This record gives sequence, C-alpha cells and structure tokens, in this order.
Amino acid sequence: MRLRAGISAALASGAILLAAWQAGTHVAESNASAVTTSAPRTTGGTGTGSTAPGTTGGTSTGSTAGGATAKAGGTYTGTAVQTRFGTVQVQVTIKAGVITDVTALHLTDQEQRSVQISARAAPLLRSEVLSAQSANVQTIGGATFTSEAYLTSLQAALDAAHF
Amino acid sequence: MKTHLLASADQPKGMSQGQPARRYPATGRFTAQHRRRMFRTDMLTVALWVSLAAALGLWLADGGVSSVADGAQAVTAVGILAGLAGMDLVFLMLLLAARLPFVDGTVGHDRALEFHRKLGKPALYLLLAHGLFVATGYGMAEGLNPVSEAVSLWVLVPDMWLAFVSLALFIAVVVTSLVAVRRRFPYEFWYFVHLLTYLAVAAALPHQFSVGGLFAEGTWQRWYWLLLCIGTGSALVWFRVAQPVMATFRHQLTVRRVVPLAPGVFSIEMSGLRLNELSGNGGRFFVWRFLAPGLWWQAHPFSLSAEPTTPPSGTSYGQPAQQPTLRITVRNLGAGSARLASLKPGTKVAIEGPYGVFSTAARSREHIVMIGAGIGITPLRALLESTPFAPGRATVLLRGSSTDELFLGDEILELCRKRGATLFHLTGPRSADPQGAWLPASAGNSRLPDFVPDIADADVYICGPSAWARQVLAEAKRSGVREEQLHYERFDW
Repeated sequence: MRLRAGISAALASGAILLAAWQAGTHVAESNASAVTTSAPRTTGGTGTGSTAPGTTGGTSTGSTAGGATAKAGGTYTGTAVQTRFGTVQVQVTIKAGVITDVTALHLTDQEQRSVQISARAAPLLRSEVLSAQSANVQTIGGATFTSEAYLTSLQAALDAAHF
Repeated sequence: MKTHLLASADQPKGMSQGQPARRYPATGRFTAQHRRRMFRTDMLTVALWVSLAAALGLWLADGGVSSVADGAQAVTAVGILAGLAGMDLVFLMLLLAARLPFVDGTVGHDRALEFHRKLGKPALYLLLAHGLFVATGYGMAEGLNPVSEAVSLWVLVPDMWLAFVSLALFIAVVVTSLVAVRRRFPYEFWYFVHLLTYLAVAAALPHQFSVGGLFAEGTWQRWYWLLLCIGTGSALVWFRVAQPVMATFRHQLTVRRVVPLAPGVFSIEMSGLRLNELSGNGGRFFVWRFLAPGLWWQAHPFSLSAEPTTPPSGTSYGQPAQQPTLRITVRNLGAGSARLASLKPGTKVAIEGPYGVFSTAARSREHIVMIGAGIGITPLRALLESTPFAPGRATVLLRGSSTDELFLGDEILELCRKRGATLFHLTGPRSADPQGAWLPASAGNSRLPDFVPDIADADVYICGPSAWARQVLAEAKRSGVREEQLHYERFDW
C-alpha cells in the first residue's frame, strides 16, 4: 500500500514538475518578446537589456553633444540604472531648452509584477517630468524602485545635455 | 490474577492448544471497506506530494528556470521556491487540523494531528530560508548586505513589514509547540499562542500577492493561490466553527446526572435531541464543552462509553417522555476534569465531533480483539456494544491493577455474555518480564496468542496509557498482526 502510494505520488509530482517546466520555457520566450516590444520606440538603446552591473557611463547620442550647443536641443540617453527588478534607462529629447519628451529605453522587467508596475509608473513619471521640466519630481507610490531608477537615469541624461 | 471469564462455546478447541491458527481468507464484510480506506490513505499521500509539486510548478511554469542568469538570481530563486513550499506546508497543516471528514475518516484525528505536528518544523525552516535567501539574493543584485537589504525591504516595500511580523509569529507558534517547551506551560497558554497561526497566515498573505511577481494580477498562478487560500479558510470555518455550532443546536445536550464509579472516575449522562443520529459511533470521541461558569472555555476530548440509548416508548404514562441519553466516562486527570465531577444537572453542553477512526469504520477483519487498560476500557465498552461480529469472533482483554479498576467491567461482562465474546480480566501487579510488561505478573509466560490464538487474523483495538499501549502494540506486531489491523487511540494528549 505504501509502495503504491509512493510510486503514484512520485509519478504525479514528477509529471506536474515536468509539465510546469515545459510551460515555463514557453512563457520565458513570450515574456522576452513582450518586454522587447513593450519598450516604446527603442532607438539606439535596444541592447540595454544586457545589464552591466553598476552604472554605465551616460552616453549622449544627441546630434550635438557638448556644453555650448546643448541648449539647442537633441536626444540624450541616460545611464542604465540597476535595480533588483531589472535595468532602467531613459532617453530625453530637448528642443530649445525645453524637455519635450522622455522615452523609456528599458524598464524594470525581472518579474511579471515589475513589468506591470513599470508600465503603470512610466507614463505618470513622464508627464510629471514634462510639467516640472526637471528630474525633481515625486516618486510614484508602489513603484519606488522604478521611479528612483527612472529619475536617476533621467538626471544623468539631463547632465549630459547640460540642461 | 488472570481470569478467563467467558469462553465462547464456538471457539474451536484446537486453537487453544498452540496449533497454528487457521488463516481466514480476508473476504469478510469489512474487506471492501478496508480496501477503500487504504485507497483513500494512498490518495492523501499522493495529494500531499502533488500539492508540493504544484507549488514549485507555479514558479517553473512562470519561466522560473530561464530567468536565472546569475548568482544573485539563483539565490533569489531558491528563496522563492522555499517560500512557495513553506507556505504550501502551512496550508496542508491548516487542512490537517481542520477536521475534514475525509481525512478524519481515513487516517483518524490523532494521526492527522501527529502529521500536522511533524510538518511544523519543516514549514518553519522553509519560511526562514525564504526570508534569508530572498534578502541575500536581492542584496547581491543591489550590492547590499542581507541585513541592510532586509531593512530596506521592511521600510521601502509595502506589505513587507507584515511579512516580517508573520515570520516572527510563526517562530513563536512553532517554539511553543515543541514538546519540551509545551510541557512547561498549561495547555491553554499553548492553545492561545497557537491561535496566532491565523494571524501569522493573514500577515503573510499580502506580500505574496503584492510583492511576489508570481501572483501578479492576470496570472493563473494568482487564481490557484487564491483558491488555495479561500479553500483552506472556508474548510476551517465550516468544519471547525459552523459544524460544531450546528451539532450543538441540533442535539441540545444537557447534563442529566453524574454517576461516580470509583474514586476519581465518574460517568456523565447527557440527554438531548436526535441522539439516534449519533449511534454507531462507539469508540469515537467528541470534544465537549460544559457551559458552566469557569468551565465553558475548556474543551475536553472524551469518547462515548455507551451507545446513545432511546427509552422504550409507551412506558411514561402521564409523565413527559424521557429523552434519549448518551454517556461518557471520565477519569480525573487534570484540574479541568476534576471539576467535571461537580457538574450540575441541567448544564448545557456544546459538542464537536464525532472524530476518530477508533470504530467500526476501521475494521478490516471478521475477528476483533479489544485490549484496554484503566480508563481506556470505557471506549471499548461502546465499541463492543455496536461493532458487528459473529458469536465467538470477539475477544476482550481488560487490564487494571485490581478488579475495581476495570471500569464498567460488569457492563462489559454483560455485553460479552449477550454477544458471545471471550473476556479476560488481567489484574494484579505488573509483570517483571520486559516483553510482557503490559500483562500482570500472574499471567506468567502467557503471551497475546495464548489469549487469542488467531490474533494474526484479527483487528486489534488498543486503548490505554501510552507506555502500556506501546508494549501491547509491539507484542501484537510480534504475534503477526499487520500495521493496518492495529487500531490505537491515544488519549493522553
């Protein structure tokens, strides 16, 4: 009797684990593609998913880099900021000394929950930044990590632009 | 002194002369019942492992394996898996303590609770590992040590402080349940600390749904986990609260009288409504609460010592018809039981139960052997009254230091005579032989098969103090009784 129970339990548990693992590999693939597509307008920064630990130096990809011409405008990419939920990197567009757009190149995505949180927080942060015209804005409740990383990356981009 | 009181006429002569007992084919009326019960036992084992596998499968199905890319993520993954397994064990423990009729009717209340206790420490270790590994893993990803990571989790992440509180509560619950610690405090202290389990589970749940990415909104994993929570919660509310309240109102038990039997031993007779519904539960126990000042909060597990009796109709001319009664027989073991001796007639009684499989439901063979000592004799009295057997196919062995300690002995004698059961009285000081220590010295070299020649083909019901019962169990096993034929009621927990 105990043998029968042991064998059935082992078989059933094994089957469940195997099925779950198989299902998991598919989910991982679809997740990966979902993340890539959800990052809006990934110019230049598509590859930022390769997460270098710490902060990679702010690389300004603006057409004109440099102190004197910065106010004229351009597109600047902030540093990639590591959080425990993934890398955050933003790109800021400045025209005639005004922040006209902030684009998230990469957002926290390590767990499904993070994807949700960042999808909710990013548009809010963007509109706050656009109205405040700086990175000194409130963090979004429930999205502390995303907000802080977002604003840090933004500040780096603004610094690069000498904004 | 060993007294062979009743030899049933049907007993074949050859058996008592040491010839090998004839093996009866297991094709009696209890075979199918036994097979079903064994099947249910196996199902429970399978369900247990499947639920654990499913908990880990939640993470695997979420793409868990492929998300592990570096050391930090691996450590975090171990933490997540430990948390899932630990919480699953907590759910299982709650279900084992929920008095589910399926579990109770399959393995019995005491074995379910024994298993519940065994799961306590593994569950706690897994939950501790969960906290430790997740804090370390997150810390590694951020370049923080686990302690400052834990602090930042506590401060920054919503619901996380509740998770820390929950872990502390779980530690308190498990520590107070350790045998060594539990002995130092009264039962009630342990009980109230144990109630904190519900608080601990409640405090653990928010972070699982809000911080854990696995149970994010829109995932099927969230539904599975929610179902597990709701299912466990409703089972507890239904079987531990609603059912007892309903049974209490349905039967409306009132103490009728308290009958002293011997110093410190007394029967409590209760009358109530629809007690015939409780018949056939001989040997099973109820949890009794006597609703008197100072007593109502104490719950006493006692077995019935007699089938519910229905007074013959038509005997009460001009008088109100007598209500049916049931009876328990109690020995003063604790301060609580001592006060029961002075229960006033008319005291209302709340009940939970019946619980346990020390009953006909556990029978697997035609032949039945009942071995009881001290107050453990009384549940056997009720079992003997109701369980089916052919004349000559039941043997009762009663052990006590004197005939006065064979409680309800005369009732048992009467029942044995009426139903054709063989009865032995085993009285006197304990035998010096370690293997026969459950017997009186006067039994000499007699062993279980000398009393019951075909013991190997019988169901053996044992009820008595645990040290004594262990010796009987060992002796029965030596005599060829298989585990599934042994039925043992622990009543000193």
